[in-house]
Amino acid sequence: MADPNAKQTGQKSVKIAAGAVVCVESDIRGDVTIGARTVVHPKARIIAEAGPIVIGEGNLIEEQALIINSYPENILPDAEDVEPKTMSIGINNVFEVGCVSQALKIGDNNVIESKGEVAASERRVDGVMQVKLMCVMCLCSAEVGRNVILSSGCIVGACCQVNTCEVIQENTVIYGSECLRRVQTERPQPQTLQLDFLMKILPNYHHLKKTVKGNSTPARS
Amino acid sequence: MATLLQPEKVLYLVRGEKKIRVPLSQLYFCRYCSELRSLECVSHEVDSHFCPSCLENMPSAEAKLKKNRCANCFDCPCCMHTLSTRATNIPAPLPDDPTKTTMKKAYYLACGFCRWTSRDVGMADKSVASGGWQEPENPHTQRINKLIEYYQQLAQREKLERDRKKLARRRPFMPQAFSQHTIHVVEKYGLGTRLQRQRSGAPISALYGLSLKEGEDQKEITIESAQALDEVEPLPEDYYTRPVNLPEVTTLRQRLLQPDFQPAGASQLHPRHKHLLMKRSLRCRKCEHNLSKPEFNPTSIKFKIQLVAVSYIPEVRIMSIPNLRHLKESQVLLTLTNPVENITHVSLYTCEEGDPDDINSTAKVLVPSKELVLAGKDAAAEYDELAEPQGFQDDPDVVAFRKSNKIGFFIKVIPQREEGDVTVAFKLRHDFRNLAAPIRPTEEGEATSEAIWLTHHVELSLGPLAT
Repeated sequence: MADPNAKQTGQKSVKIAAGAVVCVESDIRGDVTIGARTVVHPKARIIAEAGPIVIGEGNLIEEQALIINSYPENILPDAEDVEPKTMSIGINNVFEVGCVSQALKIGDNNVIESKGEVAASERRVDGVMQVKLMCVMCLCSAEVGRNVILSSGCIVGACCQVNTCEVIQENTVIYGSECLRRVQTERPQPQTLQLDFLMKILPNYHHLKKTVKGNSTPARS
Repeated sequence: MATLLQPEKVLYLVRGEKKIRVPLSQLYFCRYCSELRSLECVSHEVDSHFCPSCLENMPSAEAKLKKNRCANCFDCPCCMHTLSTRATNIPAPLPDDPTKTTMKKAYYLACGFCRWTSRDVGMADKSVASGGWQEPENPHTQRINKLIEYYQQLAQREKLERDRKKLARRRPFMPQAFSQHTIHVVEKYGLGTRLQRQRSGAPISALYGLSLKEGEDQKEITIESAQALDEVEPLPEDYYTRPVNLPEVTTLRQRLLQPDFQPAGASQLHPRHKHLLMKRSLRCRKCEHNLSKPEFNPTSIKFKIQLVAVSYIPEVRIMSIPNLRHLKESQVLLTLTNPVENITHVSLYTCEEGDPDDINSTAKVLVPSKELVLAGKDAAAEYDELAEPQGFQDDPDVVAFRKSNKIGFFIKVIPQREEGDVTVAFKLRHDFRNLAAPIRPTEEGEATSEAIWLTHHVELSLGPLAT
């Protein structure tokens, strides 16, 4: 990326790898890279405000999910010395309907169930849930905060909020109204069947965003 | 505003063995005694048992044998949710040809809520979808069963002795009638008279009576007494130094749900069969009539007999409360709904001084002195657009509005205390036509039954004073 032109446009571009299915109605802003075999449903929001977001392969991001790389609360966007931190999301993760994730680093095979939140102190409450055409997943949302690092195989249960500063151990399940935790012995299975199904069916009903093969031309949104 | 509609704001007093103040929605009304009954003054009887997840009915005897647990369904030991059976395909060698592998289905139990699976505790996958799962055996089962048998035998003997004493007092030529009486005596540790009979191997009635034959009970059960041990297993050496692995430690609730094992580690939490729920019927203690009798079918939520208070007694609800100030009169708007189909006349009275029921009120109340007339409940009224205006002359100072079987009326409240919640109480008197009364031959040709006047003590909690 030697030429400054490309760098400038590179900051605002959305790079979608070949093989990813990203619906046009999804709201993707900022510098976002989406890997192959990832499915982004309509009305999903991926917002890279304070830094780029890199999403790996085989992820499933459902409706009204919010993945946001935002500025920490007390720091104004115009202040100096705000380094853009990259939010990286691994492979085979599932972001169910209505979840909120601000975690800077998410490993592989994690599941953030509906209305779950991984958010720093600020809570984002989404509005009315949209019932998906083909969804078979559950119905509340989970939140994940900014200083949380989800390693692999974690499941943040429905309506659970994780806003502590910690690394969540592998294969942890956070469930229940009191956000109890337990460790399970095996990681959640990658949703390959669901991904294959969606990759076949979604193009029948939605327009898709154009995939970009790694160069820095801005994608049509 | 929805908080005003909450049922706990309006309480009705039940004069049973205890004086209880409960919202009308939780009360029953005995038509035969013409009184309100609460859950505490009725007798509860078990109607039927059923499993809450597979909704399978189970006769009571079978339920007792299976210790009130369902045969097919399991509970997650971690979060107590119902477990579901999931299948995976595993390659397994063909029985004919060990070199080739074919996909066979293997089943395991999984919880949808906390993601617990049966593989977490080391239970192998079963090849059968249902019926393959066994609960672990309690190592003390044999001893416990022996103890139970011994005590049952002891209880039987005690009963015989008791009966013999009674028999000795009574006239000796009435053993037959007497033996029928013994069957109704509730046994101490018994499984129920029918099963008891099967166990002792002979019908009770024929052999009871004059002398207790020691040899009749061939199985003379003796138990050895429990022995106290001097030596206890020593604690492991690193018991105090080993760091605690928190996810592995079971919570008290998880532990106590399995009282026979009480595992301390999460890897020993085995799933247990699901508890059965039961349908109960309620019976008035005074007149022995049924107040509530559910349908036998577990999938049906209806009742065969449903004598709930809400369908007989007019219900008072709070509609709006103005700002209440100390010693200032304010008007509170209440609604009164008529649940029956005939016209009901309701009069309200303030509680007199020194009324023993009036202990909670913290404000004075002035209720309308005139009688309020409520129209009958007409089920077709909501569909009838051309509803005729009801010909009731309402005093606009008292009645705010009228809508089919409901009226809104004002009461005046004067809070007496400077702090705290405002509670008022008054008496509600209404006429009740008892349709359950036996039909007497109507020579005079009167179609309706007589009306009785019932009085209830109602308490309203109007919330805190306005600051």
